[in-house]
Amino acid sequence: MSEQSSHLWSDRTTESRMTGTWRDALPDYRNIPAPCLGACPVDGQIAVWVRQVLEKNYFAAWATLVENNPFPAIAGRICHHPCETACNRANLDEAINICGLERFVGDEALKQGWKLPKPETTSGRSVAIVGGGPAGLSAAYQLARAGHQVALFEANEQLGGLLRYGIPSYRLDKKIVDGEIARIIDLGISVHLNWDISDDAALEKLRDQHDAVFVATGASLSKALPGLDANQPWAVDSADFLAATNAGKSCDLGEKLIVIGGGSAAIDVARTARRLGRTVSVLALETEEKLPAQHTEVVEAKQEGIEFICGSMMQSVSVEEGELTLQCIGVDFIAGKTRGAFEVKPIDGSGFSLSANTIIPSIGQDADLARWNNFFDSAGQVLQTDRNWQTEKPGIFAGGDVASMDRFVTQAVGMGKHAAIAIDQYVRHQEIAENPSLDPETAYQVINTAYHSRDARNDAADTDVEDRLKTFKEVQQCLATNEAIIEAGRCFSCGTCIYCDNCYFYCPDMAIAKLDEGYEVNTDYCKGCGLCVAECPTGSIAMQEEQ
Amino acid sequence: MEQINYKDEGQFCSGHVACAGCAEAVTLRVILNTIGPNAIAVVAPSCTAVICGAAPASSVKIPVFHAAIETCAATASGVKRALVKRGKDDTTVLGFAGDGGTYDIGLQSLSSAAERNEDILYICFDNEGYMNTGGQKSSSTPLSASTGSTPTGKTTRKKNLIEILAAHRIPYIATASPSDLNDLAAKVKKAKSIRGTKVIIVLIPCLPGWGIGDDSAVKVARLAVDAGVFPLFEVEDGVRYSLNNNNKTQPVEAYLKQQKRYRHLSDDEFKTIQTNVDDDWQRLQQRVDQS
Ligand SMILES: Cc1cc2nc3c(=O)[nH]c(=O)nc-3n(C[C@H](O)[C@H](O)[C@H](O)COP(=O)(O)OP(=O)(O)OC[C@H]3O[C@@H](n4cnc5c(N)ncnc54)[C@H](O)[C@@H]3O)c2cc1C
Ligand SMILES: Cc1ncc(C[n+]2csc(CCOP(=O)(O)OP(=O)(O)O)c2C)c(N)n1
Ligand code: SF4
Ligand code: SF4
Ligand code: SF4
Ligand SMILES: [Mg+2]
Repeated sequence: MSEQSSHLWSDRTTESRMTGTWRDALPDYRNIPAPCLGACPVDGQIAVWVRQVLEKNYFAAWATLVENNPFPAIAGRICHHPCETACNRANLDEAINICGLERFVGDEALKQGWKLPKPETTSGRSVAIVGGGPAGLSAAYQLARAGHQVALFEANEQLGGLLRYGIPSYRLDKKIVDGEIARIIDLGISVHLNWDISDDAALEKLRDQHDAVFVATGASLSKALPGLDANQPWAVDSADFLAATNAGKSCDLGEKLIVIGGGSAAIDVARTARRLGRTVSVLALETEEKLPAQHTEVVEAKQEGIEFICGSMMQSVSVEEGELTLQCIGVDFIAGKTRGAFEVKPIDGSGFSLSANTIIPSIGQDADLARWNNFFDSAGQVLQTDRNWQTEKPGIFAGGDVASMDRFVTQAVGMGKHAAIAIDQYVRHQEIAENPSLDPETAYQVINTAYHSRDARNDAADTDVEDRLKTFKEVQQCLATNEAIIEAGRCFSCGTCIYCDNCYFYCPDMAIAKLDEGYEVNTDYCKGCGLCVAECPTGSIAMQEEQ
Repeated sequence: MEQINYKDEGQFCSGHVACAGCAEAVTLRVILNTIGPNAIAVVAPSCTAVICGAAPASSVKIPVFHAAIETCAATASGVKRALVKRGKDDTTVLGFAGDGGTYDIGLQSLSSAAERNEDILYICFDNEGYMNTGGQKSSSTPLSASTGSTPTGKTTRKKNLIEILAAHRIPYIATASPSDLNDLAAKVKKAKSIRGTKVIIVLIPCLPGWGIGDDSAVKVARLAVDAGVFPLFEVEDGVRYSLNNNNKTQPVEAYLKQQKRYRHLSDDEFKTIQTNVDDDWQRLQQRVDQS
């Protein structure tokens, strides 16, 4: 080509110009934690498994779930779901039905008989677990997966703790409990039932025989209600009552019942009694909006004909020919600074009376620590541990209701998991690492909502009230497959790349290359505009300033 | 979520000098890769011309002919006829021009080409002003928008070029937006398959000209569509109208408030613009209903 024509004709592309020099910030693919993950007590990778549901890969979804929690079918039914409270989608319309989806996957796994993967190695170490409730089983599961020998000691004749003997069947069918526990035991855990680690000596012996011990004995003692003589035949212990009905045994109850307390357990007692044909009222200190029970539980209880007398307190009881008269008064309930602490102020002139045949107080549970009085020095409401769930005695760890006032099933599962991670390091004589703190969560503002459809939340329908009251069959139903997929499609996948290629296509400078998995920014050409970040539907990229 | 699904075959190259974050580069990428290698572009002086590159370096893999701003459509017509004469009927001839080069300076040649139904695909990159010369008003600049030559806001409304073109009864006219790349690609593909004069007007929010952030062009284009300011639609044979976005989901204020060129607007002016948009939308609906 002649010198002159080179001014007329292009003979090369612009690729020799490095527009990357224009830039002062570079996009960074970082997979930022979703707020639901930060809120989840078991660190569930919700954004990941919900996406797997959308892709109809239910087995993969289940495998992701059981990394952190071996009980998706159980958690999907009864978790207090702080994840949904934290969910970014609530800023647009309504939170994702995370529990509903978790149950869908959990039920599918039980239906298909999927098994937990067997441990690949054996460590030659052994760990004893005291208590076969959710905390103990979660730790047993994680330790078995890590290759340790696990011996589980349970005072009762069956495993499950409050999953089996506390939470009623109409919320959690016992077949589900059986199924999810059997899968864990199948990993090769040696189970010792009817085996009460009842005193200091028994605990000390376990410590001598094993490399570590995890204490997860729950909180089995019902708190006493001031002004009530619990030894009277008309006063029934709530834990005993639920354990008996859950085991299919009958209980001596009057026709008209008053349950005292406003938490989940009180409502379980009330709804259970209702299914046994009794007339039931719930008497609680808090106003209805402030009841510690979950809102749906209160709604469902009311549908079932349970009366709520809120913002009130029983002062005394008198008995006449099997009829009880409760003297009550209206109160102002003032919550205290710490969990469970409160103050009540009776309201002058608000007195009233109620009649009943039976009273079931259900105002909370205490851990039974007296049996180990001489073993642990530090006393308190719960066993004292450090941040790695280790007690003052090296090698003895504790978690769940016995060690914490965070009294929820998935909290117990999370404590079991975190303790297991620490125990694993302890028995391998490694230094116990602190839990890594999570990066800042994906904010709603970085989600490009233009890419998300506007479907309303999908909730499974409840069983009709008439049918509910006749049996102990589950009230809440499972999402149908099509509903689950639509619901999964509502998830923003906060901070979790879904390989949609938006960043790739929206780069005006072709500075993003697709790799086998993920993307790479070409620093020769990226001008740092941030369009890739702005058009990312999941908030998985952020601009990083450069020097 | 709908995946963006055209294939990038490398028809548009890195190293071009569009402003960082320019949506025109994003749409050029879609258009060039959808059209493929068997094409020639005739480009009028405009941002597009700058982005395509000055000799000896070009950012586009197809041959580009830099025409005078008045003559983009006429030159494209000539190039097409010459190709046909040489038996290359299947080569697509593209005309690329800005709104100044289309609504104003090149309107005569475009009208003539359309009247003759020349077999060209003409793309107008509509950034609502003479932007590569520093941001003066064009007849595409909307009411009240401030530009270098209308610092207190333009006093007349944006010219309705679609209706002018529809009056020529050309086979295909469409609007498109960088906020919907699949729609853009589909329209380009459809236009390519039609013989005769095809015009696609793409809305290009201009970062410095409209006063928006480097990462905001697509967002602002999306708001223009959602607010009904820039509806996505097609006109076939000048009479058959079809809308691609059936609902207005945003008030115009949401769109206008993003841009510095509307910063001086009073509440009354916002209301006037909303009324105009509502009226235009209704008129468009009627045309769709009548088709
Ligand atoms: C009625 C009721 C309803 C509830 N509903 C919900 C709900 O809907 N959602 C929710 O998240 N949480 C709920 N909870 C709370 C939840 O059940 C507990 O927080 C959770 O079960 C605690 O688990 P854990 O493993 O620590 O204890 P537990 O479940 O109490 O298990 C402890 C186990 O240790 C065994 N054990 C005790 N002492 C010994 C010993 N010395 N030797 C050997 N074994 C021993 C026990 O027999 C038991 O099996 C409810 C609680 C109650 C009482
Ligand atoms: C007849 C003529 N007048 C003026 C110019 C200078 N000029 C070059 S590009 C341009 C702006 C064109 O504006 P528009 O077509 O809207 O394209 P944009 O720069 O906005 O992309 C002008 C005025 C010219 N090239 N020819
Ligand atoms: S939208 Fe999905 S990823 Fe985001 S917080 Fe909600 S459940 Fe988690
Ligand atoms: S869109 Fe392209 S040029 Fe802009 S910041 Fe992202 S990688 Fe860089
Ligand atoms: S735009 Fe899509 S592909 Fe790119 S980071 Fe975000 S989710 Fe991943
Ligand atoms: Mg222009």
